[in-house]
Amino acid sequence: MAPRGSLLLLALLLLSCALPHARGQHWSHGWYPGGKRDLRTPSDLPAWGPRAVPARGRKTRHDPPAKSKVGRVKMPPPVDPEELLVVQERYRQYRLVLSALRAEFRAEVLQKKREERLIAEGLPEELEEHRRLMAWNEEENGRQRARREERLRREEEEQKRRKSEIAEKQARKMEAFLEEKEKEVLQLQEEAKNFITPENLEARIEECLDNPRNYNFAIDKDGRVVKRTVLS
Amino acid sequence: MPMKGRFPVRRTLQYLSQGDVVFKSSVKVMTVNYNTAGELSEGARKFVFFNIPQIQYKNPWVQIMLFRNMTPSPFLRFYLDSGEQVLVDVEDKTNREITEHIKKILGKSKEMLDKEERERKKLSHPATFGPKKYHLRECMCEIEGQVPCPAFVPLPKEMRGKYKGAMKNEA
Repeated sequence: MAPRGSLLLLALLLLSCALPHARGQHWSHGWYPGGKRDLRTPSDLPAWGPRAVPARGRKTRHDPPAKSKVGRVKMPPPVDPEELLVVQERYRQYRLVLSALRAEFRAEVLQKKREERLIAEGLPEELEEHRRLMAWNEEENGRQRARREERLRREEEEQKRRKSEIAEKQARKMEAFLEEKEKEVLQLQEEAKNFITPENLEARIEECLDNPRNYNFAIDKDGRVVKRTVLS
Repeated sequence: MPMKGRFPVRRTLQYLSQGDVVFKSSVKVMTVNYNTAGELSEGARKFVFFNIPQIQYKNPWVQIMLFRNMTPSPFLRFYLDSGEQVLVDVEDKTNREITEHIKKILGKSKEMLDKEERERKKLSHPATFGPKKYHLRECMCEIEGQVPCPAFVPLPKEMRGKYKGAMKNEA
């Protein structure tokens, strides 16, 4: 009783001494939460994400192997060749059969789904619906065609109107031009009567000398013109 | 750093998944003839620029071909697997009208899409645990309110087998 009690006390003491020093254990035991690799990285980083510090442990990849591993030759696990051949053959057949079965079942399921879909689409209501929609589409096309023809017709009319307008304007311009030219010609004809030609040169000179014209005039403060000045 | 291209939003997954035209399985090829200039082809051009990426994303097995400046007026042509060809005149239409039109004539209806969605959901059970590829969760520790993963937060010692074993040995 007493030794067990003292043993118990000792155990409790040890536990209480060990627990506070839990952090004093070496990290390589992997007792800390997250295991050996988690010690130096914060726990909110995902395991597959890049780490600030590598997870390899004490050594980098460039360190040479330890001296204790100098003569180490890594050998593969021993294998009985006959057993291996037999086991490989059996596995090969098994896998062959299974994959063939899987492929068969998969193809069957797909075929059934496809047939179901075809039946669902080949229903008379579906065909009827399709025909109705196609008819509606044709109508819509017809309406569009009517609109297009209307538009083209209007455009043609517009074009013709514009052309005729231009022709009219052109004609009017031509007329006006001709009129002007005619007027000029008439005026010229009129003036031609008063031209001085070599024949009536003498007569005209005589005429001028006989009738002296007085071009002077006076003007008073009210702006009235006075032409009765004396010829000087 | 902005994305490259004129309207890079067309390359985002959110934009692509917003496309609502899912063709019926009988549609195999879609051909778009349009012009690069002209007011009448404007809708077709916008359709090609903005809506075709969405359509191709939702219908990866439909071949889409674009022909430029080959015909005076723009149109769409669909080749179904029964050999039928569906012509859609898109002159003088906006790109939204074009998408509505083709959704109506050759797109899967909402009920069909919902039905397919339900079928797909039936294949996988949401309550199972396993690899991320096939299940929603891998471990119970991922769920809020459950015991967190001991890889990140150590278990209280009462739950650890080591402690429990020690207690049992002691007793």
